[in-house]
Amino acid sequence: MIWEVFRQENAGDYHEHCGNVHAPDREMALMFAEVQHARRKPTNSLWVAPKDEIGEVDTEDAKFGGTTDKSYRWAVTYDFEAAASEVEESTDEQAEADRRRKVQQEKQEAQGGD
Amino acid sequence: MDIEEVKRRAGPREFSPKDDLPEEYRKAATRMIQFHANSEIMGAYLERPFIREAPSLDRKLACSAKVQDEIGHGQLLYRAAESLGLKTRDEMLDELANGEGKFLNCFHYPMESWVETPMIAFFVDGAAMRRQATLKRTSWEPYAHAMDKVCFEEGFHVKHGEAILHELMTGSKKEQEMTQEAFEVWWPRIIQFFGPTNDKSTHHGFASEVGLKQMGNDELRTAFLNAYIPKAEKYGLEIPDEPRIRKNDDGTYEVVEEDLDWDEFFTIAKNDYDGSHQQINGRQKAQEAVDWVREVLDEHEAREFGSTQQQAAD
Ligand SMILES: [Fe+2]
Ligand SMILES: [Fe+2]
Repeated sequence: MIWEVFRQENAGDYHEHCGNVHAPDREMALMFAEVQHARRKPTNSLWVAPKDEIGEVDTEDAKFGGTTDKSYRWAVTYDFEAAASEVEESTDEQAEADRRRKVQQEKQEAQGGD
Repeated sequence: MDIEEVKRRAGPREFSPKDDLPEEYRKAATRMIQFHANSEIMGAYLERPFIREAPSLDRKLACSAKVQDEIGHGQLLYRAAESLGLKTRDEMLDELANGEGKFLNCFHYPMESWVETPMIAFFVDGAAMRRQATLKRTSWEPYAHAMDKVCFEEGFHVKHGEAILHELMTGSKKEQEMTQEAFEVWWPRIIQFFGPTNDKSTHHGFASEVGLKQMGNDELRTAFLNAYIPKAEKYGLEIPDEPRIRKNDDGTYEVVEEDLDWDEFFTIAKNDYDGSHQQINGRQKAQEAVDWVREVLDEHEAREFGSTQQQAAD
């Protein structure tokens, strides 16, 4: 049986997929994951999940948003006065997400134009 | 996807198990990754006795960590190969044990003395790392992911090997002489690590067209020699007269191919060299000795999940 392995480097980080192992049960999957994926790299925690239990949807089957103009739902659209600090923070996060989306979109367009 | 589309798209980490890839690609990738995985395992077995031979506790710890790393690399790579859907890990390990599985030329030669350890750990691991660094950009994503981790660990192997070389070459006169002798024996093999020049290699063209290989053998060999000849000289090793190595005006090196023993190389490539038999048999014995472990794991998995498929210890 194949188990997918997710590694968290530091407490508070996300668990990121880092590979997979053969194992007959969860306990041994954790043990093999420890040996193969967390022996040298700094690790705070590991998750294992049976490969068959992982579902996926990707850009081929789904529209993940950001493809139509929905500027009305973004904080940056309403920039006219300084806001409270936690509101500014949220705005910055959204602006960063927006910038990344544009870069991604440009990349896809450039690939499509090949 | 047809092969034309594969060639058109062939970029770093472009293809994953989600893609519907043609048989030709899967075969080439399986061949390449299986070879790589086998080499990790056979290298580990070659070096294993030197955990015991190591002259100090520090060296013993480092050698055992390195052997453990190499086995781990083998595991990661068998997974990357398996994900192509053509062969299971079980099948690949069986092929290795029964002599069908191919592996790196350098691991077909017996190693007898401690002075030989830097020939593997410094030069062969150094050469391997040169190639592996380029494979982070291979088109089979699971292979590239394995390379991320392998390269992370490999730096320690090469530097530990270099430390042993330094220690030996600043040791007693006897040690220096023995190290030079070992170097002379291993040097041509190390150069052959990168195989014959491109035009003689049958699989190379396709593998680079579909992005599996990111750099040709000649380029890799040159890059290796550029970095490691000065290193060898710095530690006081004398580069043997043969094979002749010509230094071009642009600073690159060129090896005179006729000076290398290609009959021996191709005998090794067929697993037919004396050393090949010795190494493969050793591995087969180890494989058989732990048969019972695999059986226990498979039985346990079948009980746990009530399935008849036995894959735990594949
Ligand atoms: Fe390795
Ligand atoms: Fe290594």
